[in-house]
Amino acid sequence: MIELSELQDAASKAFPADQLRPERDAAWQLAAEMGWLMMPVSEEAGGLGLGRDASATVLCEMGRVLGTAPLISALLTVQALGEASELTDQQGWIERACAGEYIAMNLDRATISLGAGDVLDATLPAVPDADMASHTLVFGPEFCALVPLDAPGVTVTERHMWDESRRLFDVTVADHTIEPGMFLAKGAAATAIGDALRTGLVLAVAADSLGGAAACLSMTVEYLKTRRQFDRPLAMFQALKHRCADLKIELGAAEALLWARAGDEAATTTDIGSAKVLACDIFRKIAEEAIQLHGGIGLTDEHMCHLFMKRAMLNLQLGGDLDVWRERAGRQVLASFAD
Amino acid sequence: MSDDAHLISLRDEVRTWLEANAPKGWRDAYAGMTHAEFAQAQRDWFQTLVRGGYAIPHWPKEWPGGGRSLAEQKVIYEELAQADCPRLLLSFVSTYHAASTLMECGNDTQKARYLPRILEGETWCQGFSEPGAGSDLASLKCKAERRGDVYVINGQKVWSTMAQYADKCLLLVRTNSEGAKQAGITFLLMDMKAKGVTVKPINQIQGDQEFCEMFLDDVEVPVEERVGEENAGWAVAQATLSSERGLTLMELSYRMRGALRRVAGLIRQHGRENDQGILRDFGQLVARVDSACAIADQFLLNRMNGIERVGDASVVKNTYSRVLREYSLLGLRLGGLEEQTRHAITYGDLNTGNWMADFMNSYAWTIAGGSEEVQRNIVAERMLEMQREPKGWAA
Ligand SMILES: Cc1cc2nc3c(=O)[nH]c(=O)nc-3n(C[C@H](O)[C@H](O)[C@H](O)COP(=O)(O)OP(=O)(O)OC[C@H]3O[C@@H](n4cnc5c(N)ncnc54)[C@H](O)[C@@H]3O)c2cc1C
Repeated sequence: MIELSELQDAASKAFPADQLRPERDAAWQLAAEMGWLMMPVSEEAGGLGLGRDASATVLCEMGRVLGTAPLISALLTVQALGEASELTDQQGWIERACAGEYIAMNLDRATISLGAGDVLDATLPAVPDADMASHTLVFGPEFCALVPLDAPGVTVTERHMWDESRRLFDVTVADHTIEPGMFLAKGAAATAIGDALRTGLVLAVAADSLGGAAACLSMTVEYLKTRRQFDRPLAMFQALKHRCADLKIELGAAEALLWARAGDEAATTTDIGSAKVLACDIFRKIAEEAIQLHGGIGLTDEHMCHLFMKRAMLNLQLGGDLDVWRERAGRQVLASFAD
Repeated sequence: MSDDAHLISLRDEVRTWLEANAPKGWRDAYAGMTHAEFAQAQRDWFQTLVRGGYAIPHWPKEWPGGGRSLAEQKVIYEELAQADCPRLLLSFVSTYHAASTLMECGNDTQKARYLPRILEGETWCQGFSEPGAGSDLASLKCKAERRGDVYVINGQKVWSTMAQYADKCLLLVRTNSEGAKQAGITFLLMDMKAKGVTVKPINQIQGDQEFCEMFLDDVEVPVEERVGEENAGWAVAQATLSSERGLTLMELSYRMRGALRRVAGLIRQHGRENDQGILRDFGQLVARVDSACAIADQFLLNRMNGIERVGDASVVKNTYSRVLREYSLLGLRLGGLEEQTRHAITYGDLNTGNWMADFMNSYAWTIAGGSEEVQRNIVAERMLEMQREPKGWAA
């Protein structure tokens, strides 16, 4: 069994903290070589059979360096391939995906209609790095299937995001007939895959946020230690110390919750959502404070502050907004105290 | 038996014992009790736990109920929280602060004399803080002069929790005013019935008299009651203050998790089950309470594996104390005018559902035991390694 700390060490060696925003294609190749894409696939199917905490560990490290490769979506789709019940040549798909053929998926809510004869019309928003994907995974009510991105009727349009550490595309599918062998699953099995993908996305975004938050806070603290004003390092001012300490403390609590939930197979989607609330909220706060505490340099394009801030703002929106998860957590606990 | 199986059977054993022995309906019985009645109820509950073998799991194994591993202690405290028993307040200083100080720094005579008495119910208080020495404890001035084989003490102590019921006091005094302030402090064990000790309970904002002032006029303390060498008391005090690392905050966090039931009750009582704003704020609180539990757990698990980084305890403490405040504030918001009406306070818990009292009590956790600000300094300077301010400010 691979220890999480070993995964973390390997990831931080492969992607050192001082090299933010590693070049995407090289990063993707390295991730594949590290075997990360095999993590969520069972050992019988030739994968590593690691739990969701393993993926979260790697994604947290990628958040730390503002990773550019589409690992969030890739780890989820490879897991879905492993769970497929109807896919033709499932093993071949898994092998190719583990070796680095990228299967994408949409990160925002899709509009989907699947008509008679398996004819699909769909709008799939926020598909990461669709330019390098061969297929995207479409999961709708009671079905889950692969759609080739070069098929007729499929358009791929890049959105220009504030966050340039990630590339998101909108994919539309018009009048596309899904080949029978391209279904991963139908009915309840497909719904289960869709649910797992949605939960996985929430956890992935939370983990990415914690990595980004930790890196952004340490960058800021290092800056305060070296920047001198009024004949002393800024870090000596208690007003700034206490702001940093509070961020560190809130981050510590968010981390503890996320790792407890990631390692708990019984955690519900709502429980993961609560962890996302704290993770994304503290990433936002740290990124917001980072700019303020850097002063003017924090507003320059050249400095890394804004990259963290933009990623933090995007993360708030991916995998369900925080108010939705707060409300669900509230309802869940209210119901648990039913008497 | 494997480790896990062993802990599961311990859990069953504690649970069964608590079902038979924990005071039933204590909340009703405790409501409206005087503080003195509460102290008596605490003595009884402590003795019950001693007999059951669960009062001093952290003591060495020669003691009945002692010698428990940290993992076992965690199970016991989880079960005490789960069973919603009254908290052990009166015996806290004796079983943790006094016992750890004696075990780590006391001599054999002191250990043999006091440890058994603590188990019999002798209660202790902590006389560290003074009017002029709070966060900056080392600046304390209460003076001790050596005359033959006694120290003669003059000075004042303050905020001493439950000193009005205490038999003995862990006392910090100044024996030397020259040089570094930490280097002139001596640690004494003072008899609270000694001549010259005057204890005055302080009226607190929630109507309680939990802590006291202590006036010391020519109080004589025999030299054999000194712990450690003269002027070496600061190091002894560190043993006192680090006696309890993590279990209490874990227990309290779990208690707060269980007490979310009270918030849920208020939401229903006020018909706000579908009030989206309230549900969101409740959900946020739930996430925060769960994170307080998770970080307290993590701290203990790390300690079981021999890991404790500087500042970790501060992160756990500030998380708990902040979340406790957030918890009571949501209760107040939901409770409305009714909670501005004064209700009798219930001792023995921090999450009583008397929301104004709970709110006021939550300050104990942001002020005592190293204030929230002092913890922030520790996190900033020792964890984040931000530079310290130069010393030596003078008005
Ligand atoms: C419920 C309760 C029970 C207690 N029980 C005991 C007991 O049994 N025995 C005992 O000896 N003492 C006890 N204390 C005392 C406790 O240890 C002190 O209250 C604590 O050390 C703070 O000291 P102070 O009250 O003098 O506040 P001060 O030290 O005067 O602090 C006032 C404010 O200034 C802030 N501050 C102080 N120093 C700094 C700094 N360096 N940087 C930034 N901010 C700072 C504080 O955080 C606080 O907000 C108890 C206190 C409480 C509230």
